[in-house]
Amino acid sequence: MVHDTPALAVEGLRKRYGSGAGAVDALVGIDLAFPRGTFTAIMGPSGSGKSTFLACVAGLDRPTAGRILLDGIDVTDGDETARTRMRRDRIGFVFQDFSLIPYLTAAENVALPARLAGRRLAPETVRQALTRVGLADRAGHLPSALSGGQQQRVAIARALVTQPAVLLADEPTGALDSATAREVLGMLRAAVDEVGQTTVMVTHDPVAASYADTVVFLVDGRVAGRMTNPNADAVAAQLAHLDQLVGVAR
Amino acid sequence: MTTLALRSLRHRPTTVVATLVAVLLGTALMASFATLVESAFDAHDDDREILMIIGGVVGGWGTLIVLFAVASTVGIVAEQRAGEAALLRTIGATPRQARALIVIEAAVVALVAAAGGALIASLGGVALFDALQRATIVTRATDYDGGPASLLTTAGVVVLVSTVAAMLGSRRATRGPAGIALRAAEVPGRRLRGWRALAGAVLVAGGLASAIVTVTITGKSTDPYAAMQTSGSAAVVTGVGLATLAPWLLRLLATPLRPLLGRTGAGYLAAENLTRRAHLLAGLLAPVIVLVSTAVGTLLMVGVDARTRAAIGDPEGVGDMITMLNCVVVGVISLFAAIMVVNSAVAVVAHRRHELDRIWRVGATRAQLRGSIALEAGVVATIGVVIGLLGSTATAVPYSVVRHEGVVPNGQLWLPPLVATIALVLTVGAAWAAQRRSGPPADAAGRRRATRGPLVAVAR
Repeated sequence: MVHDTPALAVEGLRKRYGSGAGAVDALVGIDLAFPRGTFTAIMGPSGSGKSTFLACVAGLDRPTAGRILLDGIDVTDGDETARTRMRRDRIGFVFQDFSLIPYLTAAENVALPARLAGRRLAPETVRQALTRVGLADRAGHLPSALSGGQQQRVAIARALVTQPAVLLADEPTGALDSATAREVLGMLRAAVDEVGQTTVMVTHDPVAASYADTVVFLVDGRVAGRMTNPNADAVAAQLAHLDQLVGVAR
Repeated sequence: MTTLALRSLRHRPTTVVATLVAVLLGTALMASFATLVESAFDAHDDDREILMIIGGVVGGWGTLIVLFAVASTVGIVAEQRAGEAALLRTIGATPRQARALIVIEAAVVALVAAAGGALIASLGGVALFDALQRATIVTRATDYDGGPASLLTTAGVVVLVSTVAAMLGSRRATRGPAGIALRAAEVPGRRLRGWRALAGAVLVAGGLASAIVTVTITGKSTDPYAAMQTSGSAAVVTGVGLATLAPWLLRLLATPLRPLLGRTGAGYLAAENLTRRAHLLAGLLAPVIVLVSTAVGTLLMVGVDARTRAAIGDPEGVGDMITMLNCVVVGVISLFAAIMVVNSAVAVVAHRRHELDRIWRVGATRAQLRGSIALEAGVVATIGVVIGLLGSTATAVPYSVVRHEGVVPNGQLWLPPLVATIALVLTVGAAWAAQRRSGPPADAAGRRRATRGPLVAVAR
């Protein structure tokens, strides 16, 4: 692999829901590259297409047009099964609702994507993944016995254990209180700093975005701007400005 | 709460239909036979006994199974509302109000369905009576006399049982603090409740006692059909008893299969679900046990009777009618067990839609999800067949011994595999159809529905 190939790149990404007069364009041509070991936050008002973008990249949804390159390899085409395999093997995904399986323990949840791929992770690997998120002593607990923050940390361990090319996070702190949210964001930041995990996070929270290296702003399915080394105040100000720009009254 | 309950009903057609079908058909069947009992009171002396027997015996067994079916369907539906009940409680509903929602819903559906069932029975009872007269089982001296008394009593009993079942289910759905309940919308690994274990044990013991009585006492009676009276019910009672213990039996018998299933992704999912959520899948296992136990037990008994009737003598000439009655009982019970299998399969799979979507997002392919559901249903059906066949011996073996055919009946040995195959096909088929209808990856939590092509995006 050439080192300057971005971990993830999208070219001319479009997504249209429905057809005819009722069609909605969620993404109208997005070009973005995410270099290795960077942490990018994607922000924008409701309906700006940020979650659709993430879903397309993760293979949860099929783009209408455009290309998605993972480690320089085109992964756009392929059927539902191929996209599922790609997501399972190459992408780590952290969801707002944690998406833990209620009847599996923390350790089993972490090992699940590998099990689905027909592999068994060494118990040691799973233990290390849980230790990294500070939950070594919770390995045998079911999600119902864990707090929201702990559940999201299990989800992060599950996303990282396969050493994915990209970690995608969709509002990972959306369901958490601010103290717990900081903990989870610190963990995502640590993965970037310590093992160079390329991370892309969708959020509407300027504080969450301030943990990233770069913030990309989406408006109406287009890239409307970007900010490097963001801080919460600047991001909030920029967001307010974007809103005025597209005439969204709040 | 009543308004909320009625509005809520319109948003869950699948579960409403499950309850509706069970209660409607149940009431229709029970009430049809109940009209015979009502007719018996004013019947000609020659007919009174036979009407009582047909109405009471057939109706009685039917009632047991119908009530079991209704209670289990309503119970599953009520328990599956745990998440919604928790949600209501977090926004200020007391546990009592959340329970009221579930109970009122069940009662309204049961009331409507039972009324419909009684209406069907008012025609069905006449047709049944007419058929009995044409078959000269009942003389022309007696007139049909079924009316509101039997119809309304039956409907009332069914509504009552549905409501009580909903009350029990709703209590399980609202246990614990609201916040915890919402997070753990489903409490995994619940233990078998004490009263349920006791009821199951008593029923199984009752069935075995009938079997022992058959061999030791009634089998030696001078009345050739005394043995049938005690042995005929043994498989039904044992089957219902074993079905009551289904959650425990499923966990017990599925656990050894885990290493075998765990080799593939789909098998791993199936194995975890079978053992960790045995209480949910037990709703599917129970009717399979009842179906196999009753059908195999009773039909083998009928077969033994037919082969040995000549030798034993049939002084009263009632053999043919008894065979007919037995077949009707088996028919009623099997039909109901089959409805329950389909009902439970749909309810269980529909309930899992959100979870299946979640597993898909984590990385299971659709084929794996489908495979895991089919495997689960297959394992449940196989375990149900094994337990059911065990239950059927409570009738078949004693009766065969009493009629000097030995422990294994001399004929009809094709019957157990046939019933087993039907049960398997029915269970797996129902689960497969339910899975195609409602997931895997379908829309979870208000997402757009995608029937074909890519699944819809992650929630925003």
